[in-house]
Amino acid sequence: MEEISILDSIPDLNNFKTFTDRYFSKRYITDVDGIKNNDIMIMFHSNRIALLSLAPSHFFFSKNEEYKVNYTVGKVDRLKNSVRGKSKRGGQQLGPKSVICKIEFEDGTGFEIPCCMKGTLVEVNEELVNQPKLLKEMPDADGYIAIILSSIAISEATKSELLTHEEYLKVLDSCEIKN
Amino acid sequence: MNQKAIIKRCKELGCCDACCIRYLGIKTPSAYENAQEYVLKISADKAGQPQKPETNIEPEPVTEPTDNFPQDVKTEAPEGATGTTEATSCEQSTCSELLVADNSCETDDSCGEPQPKRKKLEGVCVTCLGVLQEENWPQCWNMVQEMLEKKRYECATFACALSAPIATILRERIVALHLRDACAAYDDASLTPLKEAWKWSFGARLAAHVRLSLDSGAVSPLLVTLHIEYPDDMQELEVLKALSPGLFSARRAAGRRFGVEFTRRSVEQALAGATLDALRTRAQLSEAPPVRARAQCVSVVCTHAPLYLGGRYVKLSRALPQTPWLVNGVRMMHSSVQEIICQPIAALYQMGVEDAEHRLKFMSAGREDVDVRCLGDGRPFAIEITDPTRQPSEAELSELCEQISASGHVRVRRLTPVSRDDLAELKKGEETKCKTYELLCIKLSRSADDEPATNGSASEHAAGAGVAVTARDIARVNAYRNTPAGDAARVLLQQRTPVRVLHRRPLLTRARRILELSARPVPGHPALLVVRVRTEAGTYVKEWAHGELGRTRPRLGDALGARADILALDVAAVELDWPRRPPPTTTHCDPLLL
Repeated sequence: MEEISILDSIPDLNNFKTFTDRYFSKRYITDVDGIKNNDIMIMFHSNRIALLSLAPSHFFFSKNEEYKVNYTVGKVDRLKNSVRGKSKRGGQQLGPKSVICKIEFEDGTGFEIPCCMKGTLVEVNEELVNQPKLLKEMPDADGYIAIILSSIAISEATKSELLTHEEYLKVLDSCEIKN
Repeated sequence: MNQKAIIKRCKELGCCDACCIRYLGIKTPSAYENAQEYVLKISADKAGQPQKPETNIEPEPVTEPTDNFPQDVKTEAPEGATGTTEATSCEQSTCSELLVADNSCETDDSCGEPQPKRKKLEGVCVTCLGVLQEENWPQCWNMVQEMLEKKRYECATFACALSAPIATILRERIVALHLRDACAAYDDASLTPLKEAWKWSFGARLAAHVRLSLDSGAVSPLLVTLHIEYPDDMQELEVLKALSPGLFSARRAAGRRFGVEFTRRSVEQALAGATLDALRTRAQLSEAPPVRARAQCVSVVCTHAPLYLGGRYVKLSRALPQTPWLVNGVRMMHSSVQEIICQPIAALYQMGVEDAEHRLKFMSAGREDVDVRCLGDGRPFAIEITDPTRQPSEAELSELCEQISASGHVRVRRLTPVSRDDLAELKKGEETKCKTYELLCIKLSRSADDEPATNGSASEHAAGAGVAVTARDIARVNAYRNTPAGDAARVLLQQRTPVRVLHRRPLLTRARRILELSARPVPGHPALLVVRVRTEAGTYVKEWAHGELGRTRPRLGDALGARADILALDVAAVELDWPRRPPPTTTHCDPLLL
């Protein structure tokens, strides 16, 4: 193998994948808590770390209203979450029903974003507090909501329970037909 | 107490000649090479005449007064005491059956007369249990020879080490206490250690037998260790529990820490300050226990000091991990840099797969990801070879480089022997060295100063359609800095632990510096640019390029003024001068021509 230029060293220049598409597999859950289009996306890294985000079909994306992201849930301030060491000790413990944050619209309405899996909260995306628009503009990139670490077993189980991208698209299709 | 009296007392107690000399405190190697002769000479000295007080450094036997002896005694070969046997209490004389059996060349003493004063059996020394007695040696030599033939070292020197029965410590102490009992002035601290006496006597003869030259362990890389065991070793030591009950109950209590009760250290501790009285009353031991069997060599271990080879590898593949990449025990890639480099070395030393896994250790100054090439002069690495048979020749080292490079994926230009100190430098370099990278990047959105889209497409996000890197973009990257003018760093980064390693590393925000930064367009590919950065150690370059969801700040996109991502990464230079080239030899250089 010769030392070839960096341009010629990669097989396919035209098949560009985004950062999250390169390293994560996306999983979906629709109509969470029975709320229509309360659709969540969880992106799993091959190392079992999960990113929580909104699925493109979430009702949030069809609403044109200014909003804020509020990480205070009841008495818990998710922004104060901190983890220590390799095993991420001290992180807030999450269950499928745990609320990670609330989206508060200027008109006084809002909704909660559930975690949808069991795990330890590693990090929330603080930038959403300063730049809420990231959630709308790049939900599967800089607009991610939180990073969650769970055991390999839970991560694998959750991954297989949730909808794959193909299954998700099918579910969306069938919904449109019904409507 | 004169030397003669000491020897006499030692003999009464059942010591061999070499041990007698040890109790005299003699530290002259040649004395042990022919212990029998040395002892004879002293014992046969004018009866009753007090010898000059013993000293630790004893003159060579030839300088001793030898009035009673014919000249031929001291000039004769080791076995030469024939004519004097009857005049002395010769240790070896009582064990003729062994001499005949396995030591035909050593001594031709006729079968000895019964020695009335001795209670012990078979002429085995009560102190060394036979370790220093010649009749034991041929068996040892043969075992060493066999092991050396098996391992096939190509080394002209060797050092030898002894693992002796622990009971010898107790026995040594008992004899020493008896000597002190006989003479208050006797200094038992002067006792010559068994190991030393063994090296001087056994070691010298072993060297001749295996045709290697004996050297100290500090000099010779080849170490031969003989494990000599005594069947009653542990039973004999049991009495120490009565002598020093506190010590051993404490050791038992901490049983998990001390695997065995009797170690050299615990036995020495138990005997520290012991007196004959204490041994007699507490341990019911008034003299060294009778010897029931001689100590015998049970195993020989030969090891050659590890050899270190240093070099730099160039990695040309984007599908090759540095070390075998296993997920739940399953290989992810079919080879690795480590395997490609180690394979020909294993072949050179004729190691099997399993053997090579244990005996070849790959080390490097950092690592690159599986999909990252490492170009330029490559990355410094070293291979530790455990128990090598020899040092490879220059020609073999070049041959190894060729075999490694024949893989096509890894190239090594030079392999050179390095020292252990060099290895420390290699490892330190991992944390301190700067590296230069080349990145192939893609611009994903329009810059603020780009022309409006001409095709009327309003969609900015449609995979960067129509996005092109402009001269202004390049200029912006080349001028970018977030540090004060004049600062050594162009960009100061705040990097959170990347998600890809977050499962096994703590979550931290690290400050890292980009020292140099430049960009150039890629002809024929308007959306692409090649970026070169020089960074300090520990910078996650890929994460800087794409920003990792905003977890590294700032990112390449901030310099470019548009969203960007990375397509490929190469290490262009690892700034660590290692292994250092030896200073050029000047033998054939005419200084006038330089």
